[in-house]
This record gives sequence, C-alpha cells and structure tokens, in this order.
Amino acid sequence: MLSLHQYQKLRAKGEDEVKSNDLRPRDLGKPCDQLIQLNDLMPLSSPYDEPGMEPDFPEVKPEWKEKYCTSLDGCVGLDTLQRPQSEAEEQEFVQKFLSGLEKVFSDANSGVLQPLEMAFEYCAKCNTCSDACHIYKASGDNELYRPIFRADAFRKIYNNYFSSGGKLKRKFIGADMEVNWETVARLGELSYRCNLCRRCAQTCPLGLDNSLFAKEIRKIFSQEMGIAPTPLHNKGTELQLKTGSSTGIGKAAFLDMVEFLEEDIEDRIGRKIKIPVDKQGADILLIHNAGEFVAWPENPAAFAILFDEAGVDWTLSSEMMGYDSVNYGIWYDDFQAKKIVKEQMEAAKSLGVNRIVIGECGHAHKAAGIVADRMLSWEDKIPVESFLPIMWDLVRSQRLKFDPSKNDFPVTLHDPCNMVRQMGIVQPQRDILKVIAPQFREMTPHGVDNYCCGGGSGFAIMNSHNFGVFRDKVSARMKFDQILRAFPESIADSSKPKYVCAPCSNCKGSIREILKYYKTTGKFNVHYGGIVELMVNALVSIDVPYLEFLE
Amino acid sequence: MIIGLSVYMAVILFVGLSAYKAIQYSRMPLHGRMELYPVPQEKGRHTYGGSYMEEPEWWKKPRQVSKLSEIADMLKEMLFIKKLFDNQRSLWWVSYSFHLGLYLLMAWTIFIIVGALTELAGVSVSATASLWTALLYYLTILTGVIGFIIATVGVFLLLIRRCTDPVLSKYTTPQEYFNLLLLLSALISGVAVWMPDLTFSAARQLTAGLLALSIQADMIQVVHLILLDVTLIYIPLSKMGHYVGKYFTFHKILWENEPNLAGSSMESKVKAALHGQTKTTWAASHVEPPSVPEA
Repeated sequence: MLSLHQYQKLRAKGEDEVKSNDLRPRDLGKPCDQLIQLNDLMPLSSPYDEPGMEPDFPEVKPEWKEKYCTSLDGCVGLDTLQRPQSEAEEQEFVQKFLSGLEKVFSDANSGVLQPLEMAFEYCAKCNTCSDACHIYKASGDNELYRPIFRADAFRKIYNNYFSSGGKLKRKFIGADMEVNWETVARLGELSYRCNLCRRCAQTCPLGLDNSLFAKEIRKIFSQEMGIAPTPLHNKGTELQLKTGSSTGIGKAAFLDMVEFLEEDIEDRIGRKIKIPVDKQGADILLIHNAGEFVAWPENPAAFAILFDEAGVDWTLSSEMMGYDSVNYGIWYDDFQAKKIVKEQMEAAKSLGVNRIVIGECGHAHKAAGIVADRMLSWEDKIPVESFLPIMWDLVRSQRLKFDPSKNDFPVTLHDPCNMVRQMGIVQPQRDILKVIAPQFREMTPHGVDNYCCGGGSGFAIMNSHNFGVFRDKVSARMKFDQILRAFPESIADSSKPKYVCAPCSNCKGSIREILKYYKTTGKFNVHYGGIVELMVNALVSIDVPYLEFLE
Repeated sequence: MIIGLSVYMAVILFVGLSAYKAIQYSRMPLHGRMELYPVPQEKGRHTYGGSYMEEPEWWKKPRQVSKLSEIADMLKEMLFIKKLFDNQRSLWWVSYSFHLGLYLLMAWTIFIIVGALTELAGVSVSATASLWTALLYYLTILTGVIGFIIATVGVFLLLIRRCTDPVLSKYTTPQEYFNLLLLLSALISGVAVWMPDLTFSAARQLTAGLLALSIQADMIQVVHLILLDVTLIYIPLSKMGHYVGKYFTFHKILWENEPNLAGSSMESKVKAALHGQTKTTWAASHVEPPSVPEA
C-alpha cells in the first residue's frame, strides 16, 4: 500500500489517465490526476448531432482537486469526502472502510444478505449487464462505468482482506486488490455513478443485481464512516427528521403554502377550493414530495382540483413528517430510511385515515410501498398505494370528464424506475394518457424496460461542484436522447409544443435540468411536467389552459 | 474397487453439497423486497410487467397468482437460458451448446444406468432384441453422441471466448479459467474413453460393474472417472453451482413480491425478523445502537 507521501509524489509527476480499454479495477489505486476523461460520449440524436449543440465539460478547479476526490473522473459527488491532511488520517479512513466492508456480510446487514451474497458469489462475468446500463452506454462504453467494474473491485477487495486461505488461494480467486486512500475514495465516488435503476439486474441470466454493490458501498460510507453527499444526508434525511421535510419547510410554512395553492387555483381557473388539511378519519391521506410545493406548485394544485371535482374524501397532513413523502435514506443509509418510514407512518396513523396515497414521486412510492413493507409490522402501518390506480379509476368511471382536444400536442411518457420496473405500476398511466392525450406516443424502450431519467438515487438533487454536469451530460444522456427520438416529426419544429410527461418529482427535476442544459425548451419548444397537470388541462369543466406554455 | 467407491462418494457429495448450499440459502435472514418486474406469477399482468399494485386498495382484493406462468418462465430459463438469449445472443449460442450438452449427458447417464441394470438382469441391450432394448440402445447413442459433442464444443468455445475477448479476459480470475479447464478435461477424457465405441456398450459394462460393486476399469477409464469425481465434488463448491443460487435469485428475490398483510405468513416472518437480535452495529454517530449489546 502506498503511503500518503509516496502517493502525493507519484501524483505530482502528473501521470496520464488510463485509457478506457486498459482500465482495470485495481487501477482505482493508481496514482494519477484523473483516472479517466469523459471525451467520447455517446452521440446524441438529431438535432443535437451537430457540432456546438452541447456544452463541453468545464475544467476541474484546482482547489477542488486539492480538497476532494476528483481523481476518478473529475466530478465531485461525495462533497463531504475530503483529502486527508496526514498519514494518520489516511490510515484511519482506510481502516474505517475495511471495518464497514466486513460488516456488509454480518448480521448488521441482514436485510440484504441473501441477494448480496448471490451477486457476490455467482457473477459469471458474462458482461450481459453492460449494454443495459444507460450510464455505461452514455459514457461511450467507458470501462469505469461498466456494471461489473465496480462489483469486481468490491469483490477483489473483500476477498483480499477477509477471505480465508493463504496468498496462493487469494491469487487463485482474484483477491488481488490492496487499498489506499485513493482506492477507497474513488470507490466511494464510483458508488455515486450508478442510478440504482436496476436495469442491469433485469437482464442478468443468473438474476443477479450489480447495483447492490453501489448501494452497499454508499452504506459503508454513510453508516460506518459518516460520509454521504450533503443533499442526501445533512440537507436531506437529517433535515427531514429535524423539521419534517427535506425542503426545511416546517408546519407553519406548509400551511402558508396550502393557502397559497388555494389562491393560485382561484387565480388560474377561477375556482374556489378548500384543500383539506388534517381531516381526521378521511379515506385518503395524500402525501406529496414536498419539493412539489416549492418547485412545481401546479402539481399539488392539480391533485386538489381533480380530487375536489371527483368528490374524493381526502386530506393532507400538516403533522411533522406527514407532509413530505421523500425518503432519501433508501439510496444510501438503511437506518435513516427506517427512521423516516416510522415517523411518516406515525403521522399518518394519528389522522386515522384508511390509506396513504403517494403523489407523483417515484422513490417515495418505493420507500413507502416496498421498502417500508418489511420494516414495520402490519399494525404499525397504514396501507400504501400509488396515486395512479386511483386516477385511472376516476377516469374510467367518468367521475372526471375530459376534452382530449385541449391536449392536442405531442406527448410522451417517461416511466419512473421505482414505480414501473420496481413496483409493476405500468398500465394505469398509459390508460389515462390514451384518454386525455390524442398525440401520446411511447419512448423507446418503455415500460419495465425504460431507461432511468439520470436523476435516480439522489442525482437529481446533487448539484454541488460539477456533479450536475455529470448528470446532465452522462447519466441523463440516454433519457435526453430518448426524448429527442420520441418526437421524430416535430422535434425540430419550434412552433409546436411537445410535452414530456414524467409523473415523478426526481425525474421531473432531472428532465428540467437537461432541457435547461441543452436549451431544448427555448430552441425546440419541449416542455415537461407531471400527469395530473395534463389531466387538469383537459378537464371539460375548466375553460382556460392549465399548462403555462399553452397560455 | 476404490475407483468404484469414489464414484459413489462423488455423486453423494455432489447431491449433499448442493442440498447443503440450498438449505444454507433458505435459512438466510428475510431480506427487504427487491422484486423486479415482470414478475411471472402476476396473473394477466406479467406480459407487460404489471402487478397487483395497479389496483386501488389492492390489499382488499384477492391476489391473482398464476403458478402456471411462473413455471413457464422458470422452464424458459432452465431449458433455454432465455435471459441470455434475449440480451446477449452471441454468448447464448456457446453457453446454450454447453448447457444443452450437459442436459443430454444427464439423460445419457440415466440411459446408461438403465441399460446396465437391463444387462445385469440378463437382457442384452441391442438394436434387435426387443422394442425396449432398441429404444434404450438408440436413445443412449443419440443423447451420448450429441451430448458429448455439443457440451465439449460449448465449453471449449466458452474458454476461447474468455481468453480472447478483451473484456471477459480482464475480469476472469485464475479460478474461473480453472473451472472451464476442469469441465473441459472431464468432457475430453469422456470423449476419449467412450467415443471409440459409439454404441456405448463399454460404458454400460463399466456401469454394470459399478452397480455390482465389481468394477473393472482400464487406465484411461480410471483417469476419466477421477476427473469426473473431482468435477462432481467441486461444482457445488464453486460458482458452477449456480443452479442452486439461480433458484433463489429468481424465485426468492426477483419474483418474490409477497406483501406483508395482516394474518399472512409474511407478517409472521417480518415480525420474527423485526424481533431478531443484532450483535454487530455500524459506527457512524447517527446510527442507533444494536438491539442487543455485544456479548
């Protein structure tokens, strides 16, 4: 293992990055300024196939290089991971990592032991997963992002430090990776180059899930080393547990926002609606991603309009933890996830509702509907469902009446991975769109085979340093290309509005950023939003456009 | 005699170790839900990847489960390696050649054992004696010849691909090369032993000797049987034992979407897991201490 001093000397020599084809997991410890350069990204479809349509990667600032781990690909995702000032700090960092790595296969991690052990033991390295990964493909097949690269590094390190047997046996099983600060830090960064969309697992002939390794590395960093991206931890789960919402909105501010929504609805469509808050014994407790109130208030407003018109017995909660459905813990820390699940359920139970309905937020669907399912016993829970089946029920039963000609512009649908691939909620949103959007067309691929928006597992809210550029140029690239390809007849026609329907806050956040980054709204009139806004826009009972770009 | 006993021991260890692994996996703690759609037992919805969660108040409705489509999807994976066929066709041709060859060789082994028992009963296995012996005679030839050829070619091409494909070779460990070489050596020695007599009467004779505990084998047969013994014992200990793991990855992880409902068997499993005692804990300051202090 190189000491800090040796490493700094070698790094100062300014060795070049490793060529993508030559890169191997053990190069994670290689002393060089930046392991790879992202120069050969996947080409984009028309009209972004012309030179000059895409901004270049900005230079990595020298002060970032000094302070953070930019030596992976130049990007900083783990903004709380800082370079050590002494060899003692370096040693402590490495030891903590190894201690966490050992715990991954202990009773401290029982909720994932079986799937993890399968993926660890049985991967045949057939490489089928690579073509399924949107980040690997978008990067121009860069070796660093190949799903088995991260998994193999994990395997080699674990086996090297914790497998039984002598040197010969370790060599035989490929346990040949020593770690230094740089290896561990790069591995930490690399765990934030996977959206945890699990598309790779869907194609594995052995049914193994390589995204587990990214998640487990994130957990080691957070649960053992106390290192996690600020937007996920300090300004995410910690803030939520302290104030009730990851937005920092407290009860009083939330109630102000609800009032604002009521006024906004009246201004927009001339309808006076009283949004029910803390209604004891209501049938439905609707919980939004609180980011909607801040960034897209038209979305919770649209829910209120639709539920009010259909006569649904519903309420919002203003209780601590009752008005924000997010749970960033599911991306990096099981303990934070569980704390949030428990408190959210307690808030819902105090209202005595029959069911919780999750609004347009994919990861909140998974957190409350799937992850929480085995974190609490039945008596501590309230049944959770997605908003989509209810909405389709209201459409199918004609409790809501639509004039689809109001939505007579091209509409495509993004499938949030958490709702679709990981929960099997595929058809209701399509059935709704077929009724309300005459020019609805699918993306390719779609449904359970969809590509992630590029914002999954926290990327949508991780904007520190240059991480947003990584998201816009690499992790969201495949989605951007899909959007371009969804409108072949009209993408270049800036007079025609086009709508990307993304019924998920994080996906919307990611799509908002790519449309901004590539100037697609300004140049080509491409817009985005949820499904409920599109529903309200087509309501027979409303005679003004609800979507701003139609005004 | 020793070589005969070694074959019995190898078979017992193969079955025993495989079963032991399966029992170990089945006793692992309950994991969080990690299903991935399409889940085949979702009746009427699995074709597009839907689930019971597409229904409002799904917990109040009876679950529509189709064991038939689960079995159909399982057979597609077991018999045809469908995921590989769909997602990496070039590798599928090679891998399927090997796996189909193995299936045929398993069938061949059964025909050889039945043939040996038939001969021990005093009936010669030939093309002309009776319909039964003719059937046995030709099925043995068919499964043996095709099985040995495609399994050997398959594993040889898997090895070549692993050596020459720059991506595969980069990630392949010495053990993974060893696995393929071991399989190849067992198959090639089998070809060397049995192919001079394509009626496989020598194989029946050897098996009859094995069954009667009076085996008489020449040197090349001994070499083949030793290689076969080693392979059979080694398979469940290595990742080649993925036939065990694959059951769990599909049926107990990717296709397992049983909700935790009141009165369900899952509810009792969840309760038991929630009351489980944890000795190890994580070190970060925000993590709560373990439910039980370390002993």
